Amino acid sequence: MPRALVTGNHAAGHALAVAGEANRCARGCAGGAYPITPQTEIIEFLRDYSFTRGRIVPVESEHSAMGVCIGASLAGARAFTASSSNGLAYMTENVFAAGYYRLPIVMIAVNRTLGPPWNIWVDQGDSLALRDAPWLQFYTESHQDLVDTILLAFRVAEDPRVLLPALVAMDGFVTSHTQMVVDLPELSQVDRYLPACRVPHQLRRDHAVTFGGLTWPRETERHRRDIQQAMEQVPQVLAEAIDEFEKVFGRRPHGAISAEHTADAETVLVACNTMARTLRGVVGARRRKGERIGMIKSKLFRPFPRAAILAATAAAKRVGVLDRNHSPGSGGIFWQEIAATLHARPDVLVQDYLVGLGGGDVTPQIIDEIIDDLARRTAAADPVWKEVAA
Amino acid sequence: MIEFTIYGRGGQGGVTLAKLIATAYFLRGKYVQAFGVYAAERSGAPLQAYVRVDDEEITNHNQVRAPDHIIVLDRTLIAPKVLAGLKPGGWLVLNTPEPPEAFAETFAGRSVATIDATGVAVANGLGTRAVPIVNTTMLGAVARALGLTLEDVDAALAAVKFGGANRISAHQAFEKAITATLPGVPQQVSAAPPSGPAAGLLDESTGGMPRIQTGSWATQQPDRRQLTPPCNHGCPAGNNVRGFVEALGRDDADASLAILLRTSPLPGVCGRVCPAPCMDACNRRLFDEAVNIRELERYAADHGSEPEPTRPWRREHLAVVGSGPAGLSAAYHLARLGYPVTLFEKDSELGGVMRTGIPEYRLPRDVLGREINYILRHGVEARTGQTIRRAELLRLTHEFAAVFIGTGLQNAQTLNIGGADAGIQVEQGIDFLDRVRSGKVRLSGERIVVIGGGNTAIDAARTARRLGAREVRIVYRRARAQMPAIAEEIDEALEEHVRLDELVSPVRLQRDGCGPVLTCQRMKLGEPDASGRPRPVPDTSEDAQFDVPCDRVILALGQSSDTSILPEGSEIYEGKSLLGLSGCPIFAGGDLATNEGTVTAAIGSGRAGAWHTHRTLTGEDLFPPPDEPVAGPEVIHTQVFSRAPRRRGELLPALERVHTFAEVRQGLSDDPTEHPAAAEAQRCFSCGVCNFCDRCLHHCPEGILLREGDGYRFDYGFCKGCGICASVCPRGVIYMSEL
Amino acid sequence: MNVALRTDAETYCDALLRPGNTNCAGCGMSLGLRWLDEALGGEKPFMVIPACCGIVTAGAFPTSAYGAPTAASTFASAPAVASGISAVADLNDEDSVTVCWTGDGGTYDIGIATLSAAAERNENILYICYDNEIYGNTGGQRSSATPEGVRTSTTPRGKSERKKDMMAIMIAHRIPYAATLSIAHRDDFLRKVRVARKTRGFRFLLLLSPCPTGWKAEAEQSVDLIDAAVRCGLFPLYEVFDGVRYRINVRPDGTPVDQYVAGQRRYTGIHTDGSALHARIDEQWRLLNVLAEAFPADGRSA
Repeated sequence: MPRALVTGNHAAGHALAVAGEANRCARGCAGGAYPITPQTEIIEFLRDYSFTRGRIVPVESEHSAMGVCIGASLAGARAFTASSSNGLAYMTENVFAAGYYRLPIVMIAVNRTLGPPWNIWVDQGDSLALRDAPWLQFYTESHQDLVDTILLAFRVAEDPRVLLPALVAMDGFVTSHTQMVVDLPELSQVDRYLPACRVPHQLRRDHAVTFGGLTWPRETERHRRDIQQAMEQVPQVLAEAIDEFEKVFGRRPHGAISAEHTADAETVLVACNTMARTLRGVVGARRRKGERIGMIKSKLFRPFPRAAILAATAAAKRVGVLDRNHSPGSGGIFWQEIAATLHARPDVLVQDYLVGLGGGDVTPQIIDEIIDDLARRTAAADPVWKEVAA
Repeated sequence: MIEFTIYGRGGQGGVTLAKLIATAYFLRGKYVQAFGVYAAERSGAPLQAYVRVDDEEITNHNQVRAPDHIIVLDRTLIAPKVLAGLKPGGWLVLNTPEPPEAFAETFAGRSVATIDATGVAVANGLGTRAVPIVNTTMLGAVARALGLTLEDVDAALAAVKFGGANRISAHQAFEKAITATLPGVPQQVSAAPPSGPAAGLLDESTGGMPRIQTGSWATQQPDRRQLTPPCNHGCPAGNNVRGFVEALGRDDADASLAILLRTSPLPGVCGRVCPAPCMDACNRRLFDEAVNIRELERYAADHGSEPEPTRPWRREHLAVVGSGPAGLSAAYHLARLGYPVTLFEKDSELGGVMRTGIPEYRLPRDVLGREINYILRHGVEARTGQTIRRAELLRLTHEFAAVFIGTGLQNAQTLNIGGADAGIQVEQGIDFLDRVRSGKVRLSGERIVVIGGGNTAIDAARTARRLGAREVRIVYRRARAQMPAIAEEIDEALEEHVRLDELVSPVRLQRDGCGPVLTCQRMKLGEPDASGRPRPVPDTSEDAQFDVPCDRVILALGQSSDTSILPEGSEIYEGKSLLGLSGCPIFAGGDLATNEGTVTAAIGSGRAGAWHTHRTLTGEDLFPPPDEPVAGPEVIHTQVFSRAPRRRGELLPALERVHTFAEVRQGLSDDPTEHPAAAEAQRCFSCGVCNFCDRCLHHCPEGILLREGDGYRFDYGFCKGCGICASVCPRGVIYMSEL
Repeated sequence: MNVALRTDAETYCDALLRPGNTNCAGCGMSLGLRWLDEALGGEKPFMVIPACCGIVTAGAFPTSAYGAPTAASTFASAPAVASGISAVADLNDEDSVTVCWTGDGGTYDIGIATLSAAAERNENILYICYDNEIYGNTGGQRSSATPEGVRTSTTPRGKSERKKDMMAIMIAHRIPYAATLSIAHRDDFLRKVRVARKTRGFRFLLLLSPCPTGWKAEAEQSVDLIDAAVRCGLFPLYEVFDGVRYRINVRPDGTPVDQYVAGQRRYTGIHTDGSALHARIDEQWRLLNVLAEAFPADGRSA
């Protein structure tokens, strides 16, 4: 496995391309490509890649980028694309369509603040706005996590027990434009890891059916229940995919959540993406000082891994959630999920911190301040807006 | 609370009716609710709407499942299932032209109000014929049944800003609705339970046929019929004109001739001399020009091969007197039916007037001979030179099983204009034409006046021209438009420099200082006479009389029948046994019986005589059932057709033909590259008769018109009744009827 | 006769448009689909249908009134989804045909960017717009295909703007083939679909599709109305190759425009004044004639 110093975008482009190329012996791969900062480098990478049986269609909008993915997936190909921010917002209608069609498309979301006002920096509000779409959502903390998760995403999404699209998020600029050393998977490995993509309801000329036509309430309810049941399969399928990954790549990728020092931790902090890495440093330092503190890096957001979160917070008295996103009128979106998960644990204080919105630089010092704040609290309050340095 | 369920179709206005009913009660101070069930179906699909009325605020937003009253907006939806959930004592208000009692069984024990809302709505121009909007009309009937007043109706309509035709319709329905409580015990009907388990997107079994029988949406249905083509209707010989033309359109002259020979043994003759009333009737005449049927008949006769003649096999020997077209036709048809026939002719050759009265340049003798020969080949025995008078006829009645008489018109009309004393020759046209056959007549340098306007006048004039007459003039007392002669023949005569004096009546023949002259009187047209033609009346102006130099006068004023052959006291009914006969049955036909004066009519009459004879002898009736209605121009969809000029045969040049008795018309050519006959035949609209053009099949939006065997079948289970098949049928075969 | 005769109701399920579909009686789209089926000779296309009457046609899941694999796309996405399908077919060397079957809303309005992009990329798509000049699926609102003077539920006093010339827009993309279709000109229709099937790349066919419900016309008049529209010159039948080679298929024959307009109650009095419409028709034909003269398909003008 070549180790290389590359940007996050490059790493993601490589993972998508190799996954697509790995399907060359089946029906190939296709996707739509439309640029948007900070995602652009991914689709440039894909357009430059020489697929044996693949075509990246240079469309006129994100909406059509997902449209092409839907068509390609309906035609039985492995399909993928990437976008960011307002691009995702513009794409949204087709994002839902892809999920409701049960198409195992993989999309990279390079998190960027939704505008206006225009802001190109990281904020998970763009992909989290799609949380009610029938998509799996993964949030990645590093180049390696990103690459590994993209391959896991294909494997889980295409699993016949799941058959749902998957979104893999990374932080804009902080991951996408940062050079890091990463193990880039080789085609031969991916060939072994990813089975041929099979879309069981692929359009076939001998099967006259109208996908997506008028559906009565009974059938619609069945459809929604089927999707929920597929979502419920994901933790198991993901676990199997991780085991298989380790066999092929000799390395174990992060799971749905990464719980660290939580066994005896009275204070547990939750974060995702690169903020989780910063948090890891702060928690490690405090742990070394003897604090009963732990952390959860939450990778899988849809389906939300409630059981894993409950297990990892079994000893907790205080849970602090770091949200780099904001649902107006409510608060952080991860916090909503964690609070809902812990609703049966009235003894646990769950406090939300809105931090690093609009790409604010979240330093270890800020996280320290948050942990200190959490320690002082005796009861949960409204989400706390935590300013960062300019 | 009072609850209503309205059964209607998309587009009929069921939801609006719900709103109107709710409005009427709302204006009475009630709490109301009105809503429809919205789904994907389109105009015409069955849908429901609901109304609730209460004294208190209504919080129930579910569909009405146990209505107090039911309203059905479409008669095709009236079925027991609309009773689902209906509470006792409720009204059924139905859109139907039938009275409540018509539903005595279906809705026993129920209170039923009926109104022909569709009729009222259509009459007042609401909606389209396929989807009439009946909501406002039904409001009137509902009001009547439920004890609302016309003031309630008006207030509700005004509140929804309906007036005009809607208000008129509602009022009419209020007045016309019939209400009754039907005897019997009310039937309880429960709603259908839900079908099996819900299907999932990834199920293998998806994509089956739709389960909606969209035929239930239809308010009208297509069907096929056969009308009588106007050409067939207009053919005195009873030819299947459309049929033989269609066969020629397929370039199948043999089949075409076979069709002609079913009704007429003389297509080669008719194709030359028939005035072709079929062409006057042809619907194509109104589009561009009538199909050139006469030329096509000639083409079929001249180019088709006749089927092998049948031979007699019956025991009854029959006699036919007269070998003109009626006699030949009768003999032919009797022979085809298997009878041995003996044909009596006073002349030395067969053919009657066709031989003696029609000049060769119109009807070559070999053509006539060929067709007579074909008749004889059916085993008909000809006895020529046999004049049959009354006595001989009586004898025949004892020798034969039946006798048909077709002796035609023997007495020519005369005109008393003097002349004999002046030494000017006056001759009957029919005698003149017969005399010419001898080949010895010469008219070199003579000035000839022909009096009359029929075909004999034209024939005599043109024959005179060919015999070297210096000047030939036709004197006719009406205008050219009223001349019974074939129009083309008149044209050709004029081309041959025959002069036509219209509106001129002969007065007397005399000699003046310069020689023999015919004094003539100018006429003008007056009121129509009994024949429907304008009556010519003398012009009273001063110079209305003039003299025409004249060496010879030929009279062509028509002929009448000589009935002296018939048994005394007999009366002629065409095709019926003659009264006063003895021995065997006697039938008369042709001009003797009908005085129609055309070969074609005589052929038809001869065939009818043969069939009457056959029926009398065997009891078997060969006459077809009465004709279907004639396909008039209104059923023809002319947009489908392209204008195409009529194809005509070549004519001998006028300068050439005045010197010869060679046939003037050359007929349509059989050029194998141009196929003018087939092309001309393809101009036929095939009025009222399906020729399997497949336009209906091609244009059915649903694809439910199916080819079945030799025809088509409509699958009414899926036919939405759009009516396009009927609208695109070029020939009026498909029609729509209301359900 | 060259029709593939269906002699048995069992074969309904092979039809591209199956009986039992939910189209209104007399819908022009129904006939368009049947003739598309016939022109394809029974070959099953991949159908991509955006939000429009045409997807409701299919009826309720799990049944399908389409006898071919059909995907409902979002409103603006048909050409994008079809791009994906046809791209994968090409990658797998399949000689299939991907058909976008769309209304005027999806073509002239919400989907025009997607359509333009797919045309510019020359995707291997047969795009057919059944243009009923109205948002029929939502009950009859204006679209940019609605002609001037027509009353719709959002132009209750008659539309004051002119109809968009979609053919001109598509021709300007220099796509391999663009043509107009009439349900009153069957041979022309079948021939053009066959030409389109044989052509590779983006093909655009525009079908003037009567909507008896929205046009407030008798269902049985659908074919006759379109016949009149073509004959009076309002709807020219023509085809354009590579955006620069024009062929006019049917010329006006002097049929009065009233024959088209009078059969529909959607036209308002102000605009049905013959002279106004005749001026539009003249203008349209002057333009078309100039183009056909200057850029003939056959080396000489039609």
